[in-house]
Amino acid sequence: MMNTIGKIFLLLMLTLSMVQAEPGAADTPAAGSEPSMLKFAGFGSLGVSHSSQPLGDYILDGTIPKGAGRSANWAMGNDTRLGAQVTASITPQVTAVLQIISEYQADNTYVPGVEWANVKYAYTQDAYIRVGRIALPTFLNSENRKVGYSYPWIHPPVDIYRQLAIANSDGIDAMYRFSVGEVDNSIKVVYGRNTLNRPTTTSSSQNMWGVFDTIEYGPAILHAGYQEREASSTSQLTGVTGPWVKNSDLSIGVSYDPGAWFAKYQWIQRKSTTKIGAMYLSAGVRIDDFTPYLTYSQNSPGSFLPGAVAPTAATIQTAMRSQSTVSAGVRWDLMRNVDLKVQYDRVRLGDNTNGYLANLPAGTILYGTTFHVISAVVDFVF
Amino acid sequence: MKRLALCLLLSIFTASALADVVVIVSARSAVLHLTAAQATRIFLGKSMAFPDGAHAMPVDQAEGAAIRDEFYSKVVGKDHAQMTAYWAKVIFTGGDSYPPKLLEGNASVRRAVAGNLSAIGYIDRSMLDGSVRVVLDP
Repeated sequence: MMNTIGKIFLLLMLTLSMVQAEPGAADTPAAGSEPSMLKFAGFGSLGVSHSSQPLGDYILDGTIPKGAGRSANWAMGNDTRLGAQVTASITPQVTAVLQIISEYQADNTYVPGVEWANVKYAYTQDAYIRVGRIALPTFLNSENRKVGYSYPWIHPPVDIYRQLAIANSDGIDAMYRFSVGEVDNSIKVVYGRNTLNRPTTTSSSQNMWGVFDTIEYGPAILHAGYQEREASSTSQLTGVTGPWVKNSDLSIGVSYDPGAWFAKYQWIQRKSTTKIGAMYLSAGVRIDDFTPYLTYSQNSPGSFLPGAVAPTAATIQTAMRSQSTVSAGVRWDLMRNVDLKVQYDRVRLGDNTNGYLANLPAGTILYGTTFHVISAVVDFVF
Repeated sequence: MKRLALCLLLSIFTASALADVVVIVSARSAVLHLTAAQATRIFLGKSMAFPDGAHAMPVDQAEGAAIRDEFYSKVVGKDHAQMTAYWAKVIFTGGDSYPPKLLEGNASVRRAVAGNLSAIGYIDRSMLDGSVRVVLDP
């Protein structure tokens, strides 16, 4: 299951751990310590959800084959995963990182896969390049969207984050950071490619590049990004590969989190053969160990761009997909490094679409209808 | 009744002890004063330098120590869970900073800070002596 790059890294890490590992070298992210030769850390989530719509599955993104709704009354696939990460500081400038994640995936298994495997060379504390499999910072929370403990929600708002399931890039990136007074600015450029398995197709992306800027000032974060790639889809049944289509993702995200409360807003625009927009607005307050929050998110139906191949009934149906979600939930930090979250979603499908419901029986029409999802998750870091 | 009075007295004592965190550097350091925002950037790994450009190395107290929670809630504005979430985000996004070095107890922190011009820490006011300088009194 692991590709070559993963095997090489695993070997490298194992060798390093035999030479360098010493008792106490393992550090939890929470415990904190000075950088040591090898650092181990992990995260995980155990989640379950239920949907009131029995005709279709409510899934997090297009890589997940089955979910709550039609396939199951309660399903764990959306929010259950386990991640482990080892970081090796080889010299003061050179760091290698390997992250393995086990999560529900297209082939209906939880077989672990290499999420990242890269080597970083830091020219200074404020500039580096990395080569290997690298996290994509497409949207504000793209890099940490699989680490449930790091955000207040059950998962980042589906209406935005399901738009781009690609999480990493095999290639190269570079980061440069500078500060003006107490304002920190970091610019990142990425180039690479990606292969993503979906239940019936394999999506390939090539010549993928992006420019991302993050500005931080006290409790405020502004993230802006533009990412472009050529994408095509190969049917697993027939082996036929579709045309390469240019895709772009433009996004702006802001977060303000002074501690006692938080507010986040994000807007994205995707272009392929169609143009679609999506956004969310979320806010919450922290009362002792409880963080109740409210979120509104939506994505709009796509409009065909000039020059696109003549639409077919199927592509029109895909382009028309739209839905909006009102979510209310609470995060409870119930013990050190462990949280428990419960979230209610009220999902309304667009007027002429079944939205992003999956595995619908042919001919199902649920246009404009509303359904309800309830989810619970326990997140932890170690 | 006597026990209740003792409990009350203890809780008042504890409450005042909790509220007494001060941020320190070596008495020989050129740094005279820091704002909460400047100290926050150093402890969150966003800056590795004092405002004058000199290298800064933050020193944390042990997990679960009351003084640590007090420092983070008063100066950084985050409780323990929020700090854990912050570092989880940094570490699991391939971030290039790590949580500060840990030392056990006010005396160890004072000793380490006194002996290192780069070090910055926080201790209880009652533990201050001539070897360190208060740069932030939140």
